[in-house]
Amino acid sequence: MKLLIIEDEIQLAQSIMNYLTDDGYKCEFASNFTQAIQKIHSYEYDCILLDLMLPGGDGLALLDELKAQQKQDGVIIISAKDAYEDRIKGLEHGADDYLVKPFHLPELAARIFSVIRRRKFNNSNILKLNELTLDLLAKTVQVNQQSVPLTKKEFELLVYFIGNRNRVVSKNALAEHLSGDIAGMLEDHNFIYAHIKNLKKKLHEAGCGPYLKTVYGTGYIWQS
Amino acid sequence: MNKLLNRSLRVFIIYSAIVLLASVPVYYLIVDFIWRHEIKEHNRIEAAAVKQNLQTLEQRGTSMEAALTLWNQLHPASALTEVAETRPDSTYNIYRKNKYLPKKGYDRYEGLVTWFSINGKNYRFAVETNMEESYETIPALGFVTGLFFVILIAGLIYLNKRISVRLWQPFYDTIQRLQSFDLQQHQPVHFPTADIEEFNTLNLSLDKLIRSNQAVYQQQKEFTQNASHELQTPLAIIRFKLDLLYQSPDLTLEQSALIDQAYEALSRVSRLNKNLLLLAKIENSQFPDKEDIQLKPLLEEKLQELQDFFTDKSQQVHTQIDAGICLHTNITLMDILLNNLLLNAIRYSDAGSEIHITATPEVLIVANPGKEALLTENLFQRFGTVTPDYQGTGLGLAIIRQICLANGWEAGYNYHNGYHHFIISLKL
Repeated sequence: MKLLIIEDEIQLAQSIMNYLTDDGYKCEFASNFTQAIQKIHSYEYDCILLDLMLPGGDGLALLDELKAQQKQDGVIIISAKDAYEDRIKGLEHGADDYLVKPFHLPELAARIFSVIRRRKFNNSNILKLNELTLDLLAKTVQVNQQSVPLTKKEFELLVYFIGNRNRVVSKNALAEHLSGDIAGMLEDHNFIYAHIKNLKKKLHEAGCGPYLKTVYGTGYIWQS
Repeated sequence: MNKLLNRSLRVFIIYSAIVLLASVPVYYLIVDFIWRHEIKEHNRIEAAAVKQNLQTLEQRGTSMEAALTLWNQLHPASALTEVAETRPDSTYNIYRKNKYLPKKGYDRYEGLVTWFSINGKNYRFAVETNMEESYETIPALGFVTGLFFVILIAGLIYLNKRISVRLWQPFYDTIQRLQSFDLQQHQPVHFPTADIEEFNTLNLSLDKLIRSNQAVYQQQKEFTQNASHELQTPLAIIRFKLDLLYQSPDLTLEQSALIDQAYEALSRVSRLNKNLLLLAKIENSQFPDKEDIQLKPLLEEKLQELQDFFTDKSQQVHTQIDAGICLHTNITLMDILLNNLLLNAIRYSDAGSEIHITATPEVLIVANPGKEALLTENLFQRFGTVTPDYQGTGLGLAIIRQICLANGWEAGYNYHNGYHHFIISLKL
């Protein structure tokens, strides 16, 4: 999987690359508009992470360029602009997703995972992982061909963990993923425990291996 | 409240009333003086005529006695008598009943007693002329004065109105412009140029004051906006680094707890930053798009979204929401308003408590139990501290207030029966 990170803030780009590199993703980096244009012209990417405010040009122009060249690269906008209109504009220009800074890296990884799944496996949204089978479109889960009834939140959590497999995910990031901006406004996120406990229990009862583990009591990891 | 012009008008009216009232006795004295003077003269002329005629009679050798008797019979208002000796002339002024028309009551007479001699005979001639009585003169003067007073007042009021319309118009214009001025709407105020120096000075000073205020306000707002915008990147970097740190394979329990604490502080700063930016945007009227929104389904959707939090604290939500409440507002702001109101209720009430939500076309109330009333003074102010154990960003309620302002609503609070009531008055 090849990713292009278009971001003028090197610290941010490096962190993203660090976080994503060890998971089969091959990351490339462009720090300004011209570099980005060159990369887009020369290569195909599975997913492009695009910062809108770039030295040398507007990120939206890059989206138009991709469209003009009929490229199929998935694009996730990562921007500090959080206005409703900015998001709409970004999506209208052909971005697949829009993430407002500051976000959590696991959130980014989960979104990249979703975008690539949607782009690459258009005809089949089935994801197989050992004894687990996920239908991303129908939002159903099977363990050894036996369907496991998950709630919407449990399913979201499962996809999130798989998108971040082999990485430790903090409770903080999970809370934000599940309830967006609202989560940050309340101090304790005990409801996360309840959802994870239920997910673990359901997977375990259906015969799924103990992939989901608690780390030091404060975070979680999906190891497979 | 008195209007400026009415106040001066009242003083004018009182002053003219005093002057006109004082003029009545003065007029009376003058008129009376002239009257008496004229009548005295008239009496003298009559006396002189009588004297001359008597002399003519004497020369013709007419019987004086018969003439005197005839005279006195024909002229009852005067008496011509023969006397022993002459004295100096005298005048008098008396009130007396009219002998011939007693019904008329008392009449006033100006009298002249003159003494003269003709051919060694001494005569006394007394003549009386009826003159205007004071009790007739004074009411007449009073009436005329009153009439003129009314005419004067009517004229003053009319002129005052004309003057206020014309002369004070620039002043009222200025007041009206000031009343409709709102610092947050950053629209310049244009004061009309008046051809009166004082008004021009006033307008110029106001203009200067407002401009500098606007500049300060704008600077502050831009500062907030720029500062919070610039903060996004470093905040993102810190969060990314913490996310990376979390991946370290040999993280100890203590280290991971430290990271969690850093996360918590960081998300608080991010939230603060986001809210400041939001406030700046609301104040800058950056949410102009309004649409008709049904409150009931929106509230129900919100409650559904927050279900996790209610369940987490085993809080019960009781709703009493009228169907068909339609609000014309910005959806993003409405969403934030409801979020803040509901999260406030969740956060500041104990586990297992009951939260009440009431909505009518007039008012939206979110009530949650609390031990004691909050300090209402700076409840809706930025960073206004309302309880000692306040954990929020201190901006939630300020945002609620700003959203209400943007919609022409009003945010209020009261405490009774052990419940905090946050009240949004939707119709003012």
